[in-house]
Amino acid sequence: MTLARWTLLLGASGLLILGVGHGIGLMSTPAEASMGETGRILYLHVPTAWVAMLAFTAAFIAAIGSLWTGGARWDLSMESGIEVGMVFSVLICIQGPIWAYPTQNYWWTWDPRLTTTAIMVVAFTGVLVMRRLIHQHERRMAATAVATIVSWVNVPVVYFSVEWWDSVHQDLSQVSSVDKVMLVPLLVSLAGTSLLGAAFFLARYRIALGHYQREEVAPELPDLPAQLELEDSP
Amino acid sequence: MNGTIEGGWGYVMAAYGITWFAWAGYALSLWLRNRKESP
Repeated sequence: MTLARWTLLLGASGLLILGVGHGIGLMSTPAEASMGETGRILYLHVPTAWVAMLAFTAAFIAAIGSLWTGGARWDLSMESGIEVGMVFSVLICIQGPIWAYPTQNYWWTWDPRLTTTAIMVVAFTGVLVMRRLIHQHERRMAATAVATIVSWVNVPVVYFSVEWWDSVHQDLSQVSSVDKVMLVPLLVSLAGTSLLGAAFFLARYRIALGHYQREEVAPELPDLPAQLELEDSP
Repeated sequence: MNGTIEGGWGYVMAAYGITWFAWAGYALSLWLRNRKESP
């Protein structure tokens, strides 16, 4: 099966499962005991955060692979993982305040979970900017792989921040801590969001691969120092 | 008052609406970029 077909298959099944998960969470699950109707944001927020961390972890593994082997496909996977991770992590930074305001009466606070999440977004934005600024393929691959590994170190810190420090954020969600009635839509939404994230990753990888193949055929743009060197030479 | 937050559907709909809209927008951007990169 081709990459395009895999993308379509994962995307379509992800949307279907996600529709079911969100449908159950919004329509048939009872309101949460203390948060009321706003508790339904759980079925959206937790899976989005899960996919963001998963995508950044995929980028981290690809970064190690790219440094280890020098293979372009690892580099393209890293780029794809970071972009998908960014989409989902920006979304958690929007969903979180929408959930926090009616339940805790603030949109944002510099709590450990929120602060480390903001650092994660800024760090991976920096990696994407680096990829735009460095045109020479090998240099871009090595520099951004190192930057990805350094940025990823913060990802487990985001996850465990609610355990390591006093936090106003909800504790780590565990299967045992969620009521069965809420667990079904949560797990179904988690599966659907993961499949959707995988489809986004494959679609982004196809674009990166197409761009790379075109770049290989066309001469690469020189970096700024090389350009200056050429201009200085007689 | 029983300790449960009353209402809140507007926030729920905003969170879901923005997220689905962003996913649709990202899917569209991937489709357009794929068309551009395809030989």
